[in-house]
Amino acid sequence: MNRVLRSPPPLFSLIMVALAIAFTNLPFAARATVDDAHSFAMEAAVPFVADGFIVREDYWNGEVKSGQKLMVRHQLFKGNDYAFWLGAANEDCTMDIQVLDDKGTAIHITPKIGIGPNFTSVRVNPPRTGTYSVVFSVTSKTEKTVFWALAYGYR
Amino acid sequence: MITRSFSVLLAIASLCAATTPSLSHAEGSKAGVVVLQGGKVPFDYVDEVVVPVPSEIFSVLDKLGEPNWHQEERSVKTPDTTDRTRLALLFGSVVAEGFVAVQAQDRKAVEEIGREVIDLSKTLGIHKSVLPHAQAILDAADHSQWSTIRAEFDRTQKTVRQTMDKMRDAELSQCVSLGGWLRGTAAVTSVVGKNYSADRAELLYQPDLVKHFHNQLAKMPADMKKHLTIKAISKGLQEIQGLMEKSSEGFKVESVTRIGVICNDLLKMITPKTK
Repeated sequence: MNRVLRSPPPLFSLIMVALAIAFTNLPFAARATVDDAHSFAMEAAVPFVADGFIVREDYWNGEVKSGQKLMVRHQLFKGNDYAFWLGAANEDCTMDIQVLDDKGTAIHITPKIGIGPNFTSVRVNPPRTGTYSVVFSVTSKTEKTVFWALAYGYR
Repeated sequence: MITRSFSVLLAIASLCAATTPSLSHAEGSKAGVVVLQGGKVPFDYVDEVVVPVPSEIFSVLDKLGEPNWHQEERSVKTPDTTDRTRLALLFGSVVAEGFVAVQAQDRKAVEEIGREVIDLSKTLGIHKSVLPHAQAILDAADHSQWSTIRAEFDRTQKTVRQTMDKMRDAELSQCVSLGGWLRGTAAVTSVVGKNYSADRAELLYQPDLVKHFHNQLAKMPADMKKHLTIKAISKGLQEIQGLMEKSSEGFKVESVTRIGVICNDLLKMITPKTK
């Protein structure tokens, strides 16, 4: 007996494609993308960890308009060496990160390590113990919004 | 009929698309991230300030001398209470105690604290999420892997806060951070008090962080604000903030001592009395 392989009905295929788009492109891709941004931030951290930095478990992430400046306020302690790592999941992005004191003076330095196409780093030796502002942005040449993650460590 | 099924499937898919992105923030957080309008930086923003782990401060104290961390260790014991506010505060302080034990490289104390973390998490009903961390702490203690233990205590605190946030217990999550800060600060004042120097004392300059905690307490529901310990902490934080703000050019020994006394008095309210 000949077995005939029949093509699925066109409507069935359409439903499957619609589901595939809905389930893969929307929720799960969003998750993967934000997680990717964190993975890139952690990639930036690798040479710092080799240099004795301890990565904090707390980190920030999200999706934001390309080029939008964001800020977190951070208590830093004089005597510690801090590093902040910014990762972006989108391709062709430029990243900027600054650490400012209460007068708006930049106190960070850009290291030679922890810089790559999807991540950047800054280092800070706080001149005083106190609260500082970490201001950062990710700008994409092609996307309206970008996925980002910011992590930090100390030693 | 098929068209209708297709519509239903698409609706389900859309719902998933609308609800699932929250999972994307299960590990990271947006808390404290401020969108800057016109690029202007609000330097007075204190609604959300990153709460450091005690070891961030302890590491500086280590660089400035060799504190005897064994002297700073305290025994931990779960109180016989179902008061979740007190238990959450205690949880934070026990994790902070873990950081002290790591500085002291005290394996036995770390093991005791690891077991205490399990007991407390059971009482708080969050042991499923805490157990893997507590087990990792106990395993690492077996091999004196101090950096692993330190990281696990950090993860434990984060997991507990996230679990509480998911359970709509954001206030309790704040209590965990607060309990940890009180115990960490008590340890710092003790170390600084034993060997005072301006550099060591400067580590206590955290007025924005204290203001942040105070604001969080002020936002708590009325019934929680009436809690005796929360009321006492709120009052204590106000005094600590005043002492810190007065010390922007340097702490006097008396201010360090007073901050220590306030923290210890508050800790006595949350920790069980030992015989």
